[in-house]
Amino acid sequence: MSNPYHNPKAQWAAYLVFFVVLACVPLMVENTFTVNLLARFLVLGMLALSVSLVWGYGGILSLGQGIAFGLAAYGMGMTMQMQAQDPESMPIPSFMLTNELTELPALWEPFWHAPTGIALALIVPTLFFAALGTIMFQARVAGVFVAIVTLAMLSAWYSMAFDMQPYTAGFNGISPPNPLQLGEYSIDPYSATAYWIALACLTVLTLGLKALLHSKFGLIIQAVREDPERARFLGYSVAAYQVSVFTLSGFVAAVAGVLWVMIVQYVSPTALEVSFSVTMVIWAAVGGRMSLIGAIIGAFLVNGMQSFLGDELLYGFLLVLGGLFIVIVRFLPNGLAGLLESVLGRFGKRAAPSDAGGPV
Amino acid sequence: MSVNHFWTAFAFEPFMNALLIGLSMASIWLIAALGLAIVYGTMGVINMAHGEFVMLGAYTTYLLQSVFGLPFLLCVPCAFLIVAAIGAIIEKLLIRHLYKRPLDTLLATWGLSLVLVQGVRLLVGPEPKNVTSPAFLNASMQFWVFELSWFRVFIFGVTIAAFVVTWWLLQKTRVGLMVRAVTQNKEIAAAHGIDAGRVYTLTFAYGAGLAGLAGAMFGAIKNVFPDMGAGYIVEAFLVVVVGGVGSLAGSLVSALGLGEIYSVFAYFTNGTFAKFWLFLLVVIFLRFRPQGLFSEALARR
Repeated sequence: MSNPYHNPKAQWAAYLVFFVVLACVPLMVENTFTVNLLARFLVLGMLALSVSLVWGYGGILSLGQGIAFGLAAYGMGMTMQMQAQDPESMPIPSFMLTNELTELPALWEPFWHAPTGIALALIVPTLFFAALGTIMFQARVAGVFVAIVTLAMLSAWYSMAFDMQPYTAGFNGISPPNPLQLGEYSIDPYSATAYWIALACLTVLTLGLKALLHSKFGLIIQAVREDPERARFLGYSVAAYQVSVFTLSGFVAAVAGVLWVMIVQYVSPTALEVSFSVTMVIWAAVGGRMSLIGAIIGAFLVNGMQSFLGDELLYGFLLVLGGLFIVIVRFLPNGLAGLLESVLGRFGKRAAPSDAGGPV
Repeated sequence: MSVNHFWTAFAFEPFMNALLIGLSMASIWLIAALGLAIVYGTMGVINMAHGEFVMLGAYTTYLLQSVFGLPFLLCVPCAFLIVAAIGAIIEKLLIRHLYKRPLDTLLATWGLSLVLVQGVRLLVGPEPKNVTSPAFLNASMQFWVFELSWFRVFIFGVTIAAFVVTWWLLQKTRVGLMVRAVTQNKEIAAAHGIDAGRVYTLTFAYGAGLAGLAGAMFGAIKNVFPDMGAGYIVEAFLVVVVGGVGSLAGSLVSALGLGEIYSVFAYFTNGTFAKFWLFLLVVIFLRFRPQGLFSEALARR
């Protein structure tokens, strides 16, 4: 027997147990505030998932995952805001009135129709990632340059959201008055339903990505990460694979953005802040970027610790977070999942040469 | 911002002044980017904490001025020395363990920047501090259609001086020769008896010192506060990337270009749009010239 960490069956079993346990949580928790908090963690876990995909597997250090998250969050915020408007009596949101707009901007028109709005919130960020990825990877921009370009784009979007006050409500952000209406149902952010919707999305995306990473596509992605030159000489279109994985990660982050606004009923430029996007990378690094589930757990741990310590200790917390991050990068480059891998490796040591080991 | 007054029409005098502001922006971005360019060019380390070194320089100036009563012009070189010393310590403790993993240095230095920002916030307090500059620098002058403050001229002068000194150190001194040798090939340089580790420590300390120098001056333009560094870091990175890795002249030209483009855009529209389009232009530029303006080979570390 080799390292059970690399055993695909054991991995799938661990994933299933993980999601089943998460699904049972609202049955045990009474407090609606806690359910809402846990639902937020699920969304943040989804962001760590997108980082794990693009950075851990794709080898692309993107500091701009917040672009997809933020754009999708704004799309969802606009959709929910328009659900509260009435074409006859209240055609435009009140913050626009205070900013001297007399009619609804064309940018906002499609969001009258909620399904169109949600679709746009998912499609626009994904297309943006596809376009940005195409520009970067066709030019063979790589390594830290990708980090800087994505950082620059993120910072540009942040200043747009911040400054275009008549369209985005600027610093204050958009706070839709009512929960999301889907057909006849109203999704209360503090209900278990909202939690389960978020969990369902997280489960589908995680298992889907895991299956994808076990496929031929996933293996080539990792080959490209290990050595782009060699993959190119073997005849693979490196740029096409990098663009796909980057776009896919953008889509995952966009789903997270949509869910986030459903759960918190609020969106502001903080979603596009540079520090937020880098924090996502920290979550994935703590949990283990080479493991989808590890990254998700990393997000749970760091955010759990943050809300446990509370706001009074926030500055102290950030100090600890920064220190923790330095220690992880310095001593545990594969995070907690990497630690687990080596611990499990001890147990399976007697075994014959270990198998190649698929993605975890 | 009002939607109705979005587009500003061309007028000669304000436009000439916008060009002058562009020059001033360029000098600010260049002095912020210079240390970054040297550290990245020589060591291949992307220092995300560079902005925090700027912040430390500003706080050093503030403390020297308010606690020890040092005159501002003396604080500036002191900020260079003190932040350089901090940089040397950080290089020895953290950076040198990560040379083989460039992406990880980026992340570790980000963690470092969190620690520095929060550490300063806890030690000195979150409220903004003031650095007072001498009276003669606060005046402004009129020259033909131009109107500019002496402090901007001062920054411009210091930037040019720092640039020339850096160039001289690299090209004309023995240490500079060693730095260039290590940049080209660390192993071969080491085989010729150059202590590459010491060269790296020196380079990192010098880069940090330049950030401290920048911070001493930025603190006097605006306030001094714990996360002031974040405001310079993206622009500084873009100057380095557009200029071309390891090319001082490239950084100079790209700072000038970016500063002027930004300022002209900002004149016709506003600062936010200017920033957005500038960043987009840089991304498109990198599509066609990923190696930057002046770098010969494709630099991919």
